[in-house]
Amino acid sequence: MTTRFKITRRLLRAIRQDLERPHPFAYERVGFLSAGLSSTDSNLLVLAREYRPVADDDYLHDSSVGAMMGPEAIRKALQWAMAERVAIFHVHAHHGRGQPGFSGVDLREQAKFVPNFFQIAPQWPHGALVLSDDSCFGHIWLDGSKPGDAITGFVEVGAPLATWSAA
Amino acid sequence: MSRFDRQSFLGPDSESRLREATLGLVGLGGGGSHIVQQTGHLGVGGFIVVDPDHLTDTNTNRLIGGTLADLPLATSKVTIAERLLRGLVEDPRVIKRVDTWHNVTAELKLCDIIVGAVDSFNEREQLERFARRHLIPYIDIGMDVHELGNKQYLIGGQVILSMPGCPCLRCCGLITDESLEEEAGRYGAAGGRPQVVWPNGVLASTAVGLIVQLLTPWFKDSPEFVYLDYDGNRGTVTPNDRMKLLRHKVCPHHPARETGDPLFDVRDFNRLRFAKLQPTDELAARPPLANSWRTRWVAIARRLGLTR
Repeated sequence: MTTRFKITRRLLRAIRQDLERPHPFAYERVGFLSAGLSSTDSNLLVLAREYRPVADDDYLHDSSVGAMMGPEAIRKALQWAMAERVAIFHVHAHHGRGQPGFSGVDLREQAKFVPNFFQIAPQWPHGALVLSDDSCFGHIWLDGSKPGDAITGFVEVGAPLATWSAA
Repeated sequence: MSRFDRQSFLGPDSESRLREATLGLVGLGGGGSHIVQQTGHLGVGGFIVVDPDHLTDTNTNRLIGGTLADLPLATSKVTIAERLLRGLVEDPRVIKRVDTWHNVTAELKLCDIIVGAVDSFNEREQLERFARRHLIPYIDIGMDVHELGNKQYLIGGQVILSMPGCPCLRCCGLITDESLEEEAGRYGAAGGRPQVVWPNGVLASTAVGLIVQLLTPWFKDSPEFVYLDYDGNRGTVTPNDRMKLLRHKVCPHHPARETGDPLFDVRDFNRLRFAKLQPTDELAARPPLANSWRTRWVAIARRLGLTR
């Protein structure tokens, strides 16, 4: 199976700019991205739609991590998935160039909250993305019971098109 | 030395970028056939070529690659395109369909760029909507010959790059409800419209320039939205006024919430995927294959008297 994640350059720039904003106390920002899906045989296309940042008040004080979302942030994302019937991807950024990767904390937290999305929107895959300054990496869950698979390719839709493989 | 040395300014990895790219070419008449030929010369590696028609005698004034010898054979336009590509590209990845593009959507949705060289506004609008749904840049070319009276004619045309999120054919005013209604009203009554080879060549070459800008990094500030007008009488290609006016506009006709297949269900996708991994009934009914190493071990053990 191959998974190709596509996003317009305009949207990706807007996400990077938003994640750059300083937060009153958290070391970094996080947000959620909605997407539509399409498929052919064993090829899955994830087509990015809209980005929503986690609100300032929805972060928890936790100095052991860069940013810790509170239950209200998760609730709003779940509500979004249910109301608009969309796939939801958690997004955050690691600075630097080249392909980024998830930290142990990222993986631990994803394993906690991503399966919840399948309780209310089981018809869509869900997952998480991490951005670097010029690349991206992500995991996609195709059901709530198994850990996510790496997204195999990314396309930044702009002029010129930018593509990179990630798995 | 590579045969692409003379185009190496397109970027250090332009050869592999072009080779790995897949173009969807819908409509292989006067305009589309030029694009087939030029993108083949450039070294593009993948093509989905789609057209329901075969070569007729009235196409031979402009269809690149079509020959008079194709007429008695009623050679399809996609076969002519494939023949051209196989003569220009080493091991091209060509999928050809003698069909309307609506029946080729599974292949087209995986393309990097779709180029439409189709006749009707309705077809253009549907193809653009399909491309937008799958976040695929769509390039539209079209030409027309207008009678001015007194045996005078005006050749005109346009090339539009419709990038997801950016202004679309409706934003450009090329497609309107009136033009669609007018077209529907004369359905079946339209005869063959005047078409000649050189304006198609100009429009197709301009479109190929946009394809190269999308695939290679040779031009840093290439615009994401392009609307160019062709004046065949003056021999000019100029930016339409709307190109500047609409440059930063977000398209209201194809909102981002429309991406993807509205009926998609990952549970169906998983079922189909796992069904392919399971043995079919016929395979499951067969006895398991003998383990050759086990068979050999038993034979050796018997020979050594370790077992009977």
